[in-house]
Amino acid sequence: MSQGRFVAKRVFQGVGVVWGVVSIVFVLRFVTPGSAINAVAPLDADQETRQAIARELGLDQPLHVQYGDYLVSLLQGDMGFSYVRGQEVATLVFSKLPATVELALAATVVAIGLSIPLGVVSATRRNQPVDWLATLFSLGGISTPNFWLGIMLILLLAVQFDIFQTSGRAVAAVEVAAAVVGPAPFVDRLQAWLAHITLPAVALGTYFMALVTRLTRSGMLDELGKPYVRAARAKGLPEVVVRYKHALRNTLIPVITVLGLQLGTLIGGAVITEAVFSWPGLGTLVIDSINLRDWPVLQGSLIVIGTSFVLVNIFVDVVYSALDPRVVND
Amino acid sequence: MPDVSDTPAPELDDDVLVAVRDLSTRFFTEEGQVNAVENASFEVRDNEVLGIVGESGSGKSVTALSLIDLVDSPGEITGGEVWYRDAELAAEFAGSDAVVGDHVDLQRVPATVRRSLRGSSFSMIFQDPMSSLNPSVTVGEQIAEAVEVQRRAKGNPRRTRSRTQGYGLGRLLVDTLVPTRSYADEESRARAVELLEQVGIPDPADRADEYPHQFSGGMLQRAMIAQALAGEPDVLIADEPTTALDVTIQAQILDILRELQESGETSVVMITHDLGVIARMCDRVGVMYAGEIVERGRLADVFDDPVHPYTRGLLGSVPDLEDPSTRLQPIEGNVPSLLDREMPEGCYFADRCPKAMEDCRQPVPEYDTGTASDEHAVQCVLAEREYDPAVALDGRDETGDEVVPSE
Amino acid sequence: MLSDRVRRNLASEFRGSILAKLGVVLVLLVVFVAIFAPFVAPHDPTTQSLDNAERPPLGIVQTEQRTTSEMVDGEVQTVTETVTIRPDAAHPLGTDGLGRDMLSRVIYGARTSLIVGVLGTVLAATVGVPVGLIAGYYRGRIDDGLMRFADVSLAFPSLVLAIALIGLWGRASVAVPDPFVAAGFAQEMPETFVLPGTVIVVVGVVNWVWFARIARGEALSLRDQEYVTAARALGADDSRIIAGHVLPNAITPIIVLGTVQVAAIILLESSLSFLGFSGTTLSWGFDISQGRDYVSSGQWWIAGMPGLAIMVAVIGINLIGDWLRDALDPGIEGEGGA
Repeated sequence: MSQGRFVAKRVFQGVGVVWGVVSIVFVLRFVTPGSAINAVAPLDADQETRQAIARELGLDQPLHVQYGDYLVSLLQGDMGFSYVRGQEVATLVFSKLPATVELALAATVVAIGLSIPLGVVSATRRNQPVDWLATLFSLGGISTPNFWLGIMLILLLAVQFDIFQTSGRAVAAVEVAAAVVGPAPFVDRLQAWLAHITLPAVALGTYFMALVTRLTRSGMLDELGKPYVRAARAKGLPEVVVRYKHALRNTLIPVITVLGLQLGTLIGGAVITEAVFSWPGLGTLVIDSINLRDWPVLQGSLIVIGTSFVLVNIFVDVVYSALDPRVVND
Repeated sequence: MPDVSDTPAPELDDDVLVAVRDLSTRFFTEEGQVNAVENASFEVRDNEVLGIVGESGSGKSVTALSLIDLVDSPGEITGGEVWYRDAELAAEFAGSDAVVGDHVDLQRVPATVRRSLRGSSFSMIFQDPMSSLNPSVTVGEQIAEAVEVQRRAKGNPRRTRSRTQGYGLGRLLVDTLVPTRSYADEESRARAVELLEQVGIPDPADRADEYPHQFSGGMLQRAMIAQALAGEPDVLIADEPTTALDVTIQAQILDILRELQESGETSVVMITHDLGVIARMCDRVGVMYAGEIVERGRLADVFDDPVHPYTRGLLGSVPDLEDPSTRLQPIEGNVPSLLDREMPEGCYFADRCPKAMEDCRQPVPEYDTGTASDEHAVQCVLAEREYDPAVALDGRDETGDEVVPSE
Repeated sequence: MLSDRVRRNLASEFRGSILAKLGVVLVLLVVFVAIFAPFVAPHDPTTQSLDNAERPPLGIVQTEQRTTSEMVDGEVQTVTETVTIRPDAAHPLGTDGLGRDMLSRVIYGARTSLIVGVLGTVLAATVGVPVGLIAGYYRGRIDDGLMRFADVSLAFPSLVLAIALIGLWGRASVAVPDPFVAAGFAQEMPETFVLPGTVIVVVGVVNWVWFARIARGEALSLRDQEYVTAARALGADDSRIIAGHVLPNAITPIIVLGTVQVAAIILLESSLSFLGFSGTTLSWGFDISQGRDYVSSGQWWIAGMPGLAIMVAVIGINLIGDWLRDALDPGIEGEGGA
C-alpha cells in the first residue's frame, strides 16, 4: 500500500480512538459519586440551578438519546458550560491549549536534539569516558521525578544565581516569532520567552532525553553489530555514512515507536511541570478544576488531551512509515 | 604493526595478484586469546579462482576479512604480509620496505590506504544476502552507493584517504535533513541499474527501486554480486555465497562468478566448506584446519594426490557417486579449540591423525612437493618421509589408516 | 518457572556487572528501611515541634533574617535580627517547617512508595496479563475489541487519567495497624500506618495496558509453537494451555516489565502526592510539595531529601531491571511504562 493509504488508514483508526475517548468521558459522568448532576454542578449550586442542569443534560431522557446529544454537541464544538467559572468550556480549554503545546514542543525539541547525538556518540565510543557519563546521566534522568527536578532547578538557577524566572509565562512563542520584524523588541521578547520557558522545558524534557539516549545507545550498538554494517564497510563506504545513513536510520525506527508510547508520559509530565512553574496551560487547568470541583472543564480537558495525543501518535506513525518502508509495502 | 623484520622480501611472479605470507589474526577475548588464523600463506593469481576450504571454525572467514582489514575488535591482525600488485600504489610508496617491484605489502601502509582499497581493489560478498543488505534502503540505492564511493575515490584519492573520506558531517546533515538528496547521484544510480542487468536480473530499472525483502534469495545474491562489482575490483572474495541458497540457485550463482573470472577482469577467492563447489569452480585450492593452511596447490594436485591426512580425510568423507559401496571414512575426534592456551606445540591435527608420529609434536614447517612451476605446499611431515609405525604416537594402528580411540 | 539456564544467565550477568550489584544493594536498603521503619527511624515522623522547625541537616549552618514587629511605647517597631540555626545531631537530615524529623519522614515515606509501587504493579499485572494472554491466544474479534479498548486507555496519559480518577472518586485510605508497634516494639512510633487505597487502585487501573500488550505479544508468538499444537492435539482445553504452556514461557518479559513498572508507579505516586491527590501525608511527594515553599529562602533540604530518596529507590530498581533484561533476553523492549 502506498504511504497515502497508510496515512488514511491511521487517521481512520485515530478517529475510532477519539470516539472511544469521548465515550469514556461520557461514562465518567455517571461514575461520579452522587448523581450525574454532581458531575456538572458545583457543590454550592442551589436547587434551581440543579434543575436547570438536569434539564440541560437531558437526564430524564433515555441513555442513548443523552449520548447522541452529547456527541452532536461535541461535533458542534460545544463542550458544555462551566458553572463554577461562568464560561464556555470550549473557550476556556482552547485558550489554555497553546501554552501547553508550546511547553511540550520545547521540551521535545530539547530532548531529542540532545539525546540522539548523545546516544550515537555513546555507542560509537563505547566504554570510554563519554559513554560512562552518558550512561550515568541517562540513568539519573529516568529516575528523577520531574517536579523535583524543576524545584531543584529553581533553587539553583533562579534563587541562587538569578538567571531564570521561576513562574509564569510572560510571552508566547508566536509573539517572539512575530517580533522578528523589528530588532529591538525581538531581542527583548526572545529573552523574556527564554527566561520563562527554559527551566520548565528542561525539567519536563529530562526524562524523555534520558530515555531516548538509552534507547539510541542500545539500538545503535545492536545495529552496528549486524552483518549489513560490515558489508557496507566492505564496499568502501565512509564510516560516517555507515553510521548515520544506515545504522542510525534503522536504530531510530524502534526508538520512534517507543517515543510514541512515551508521549503520554510527556503530556502527563507537562501537567506537573505546569504546576511547579505556574505555567498557565491545560495541566494547571485540570488541577484547578479538580480542586474547584469544576467537572465540565475537567471533562473537556480530558477530551482535548486525549484527542491531541491521538493526533500526535498519527504524526509519529507517519514519520515511522517514512523511515521503515516495510511497514508501508506489505 | 606486525613484526616483519626477519622475513626476507619475497620473489613474486608477475601474475601473482595477491600473495599472503604468514598471516596471523588473533582475537583477544575475555576467555583468552583465540588464534583464529595462524601463519597462513597463499597466493591469488590473475584470472583464476582460488578456493579456501575448511570446516566451520577453521578460520576461513576470518582470513577473508583480514584481507580487507575488516576484522572487528577484539580481533587484530598480529602478523604477516599481504602483498598486492598495484603499480600506482608501488610508485607512491617506492623506496620504503613496503614495496618490492610492483607489489606493495598492505600491512605496512597506513590503515587509511588499506581502507581505500575496499570496493576498488578488493570486494566481498557474504553468506546471507538478506542480512547483508540494509533492509530499509532500496537495493538500487545501495548498489549506487558502491558505485559512487569508487567514483569519488578515483576523482580525488587524497580526500578519500582521509578519515572522513571526503564526506563530512556537514554534508551528512544536509543529506539527512533534505530527504530527496541521496549519497549517490544520477549517474551512479544509472550504473547500478546496468550492473543489475549484468548479473541477470530481469526488469532491472524497476527492481532497483525495491527493497531487499522483496527479492528472493538467489536474486538478492546476484544483486550483492552486482554491488561487489561496482568498483571493478581486482579480487572478489566470496564467503560461502551459496550456502544459504537452494541447490539449483547455487549453480546459477556459481556460473555468474565463473563468468566473471573468465571475462578476465576479476580473480575470485571462493571460501566454502563444500567440496563440490571447490571441485566445480576452482583452479587452485587451499585447505584450512584450525586456522592454518595445511595444504595448497592446484586443484588437480590436491584433490587427486592429497598428502596431508586431513585433506585425505576430507576427501574421504564425501560419498563417491561412482562407487557407492565404498565405506565413508569419517575423521575421528573433534575440531580443536582455538584458544591459545589450549593449543598444542606441534601439528594441530596430530590428535586426530591416523599417521601421527613423534616429530609431529614439534612445530611442522611447510614443504613443497610440487614441481617448480606449480607449487603444492603441505604442512606435514609426511611430505618428506613415509609413515613409520615405529615412531607413531599412541593409538595409531600399523597401517596408518585408523586412530584407535584411547578411552 | 525459571529454568536452569535462566538461573545461570542471571548469576553470570550479576557477577559481571557492578551496576547490577549496586542496584540490588539499593533496593534491599529501601525494602529493609520500609519494612522495619519503626526500628530504623529515630523519631516519630508525625511529631511536630515548632521550636525545632527548619533545622538544617548536619554540616550546614543556616542564617536567616527574621523580622518581628513589637509594640514599643504605643508604636509598632520592626526589628530585624540575624538568627543562626544550627544543625542538631538528633536530626541528621534536618527538620521541616513544622519541626518534624526529615530522616524519619524519609524512612516512613519509603513504606508508602514501596507499598503503592508493588501493590499497584501487582494489580496492573493481575488485570493486564490475563487480558493480554486471552487477546493474543484467541485473536479475532476478542483481540480486536480488547486492543481497541487498550488504545483508548493509552490515549490518556497515565498521570492525567490518575488525577482525573482520583478527583472523581476521592482519596479513600485505610489506617492499617503497624504490626511492630502492635506487638509491643518501638512504642513511640505511630500505631497505625495509612494505606492510600484509592491511589493503589488507580495506578493499577492506569497501568494495566502495558502488561496486556506484552502478554498479548508473547501469546501471539507462542500460540504457534509446536508444543501448543501438540497439547491441543492431546485434548487439553484452552485455559490449561494458556496457564500451563503459554504463561510460563511468557513470564520473563513480564518480569522485566514488572520492574520497570514498579519504578514508574513510584514516580507516579510521588507526582500524585505532590499535587495533593494522595490519601496519605507520609509520602515523599507530599514532603516535596511542602518543601517547595522553603526553597526560595534557601532551605533546600525539606524538598531535597525526599527527592534524593526517590532517586535512590528508582535508580536501584532500574538497575535491577537492566540486569534482568540483559540476563533474560537482551531483545526485550523493556521501556514500557508511564
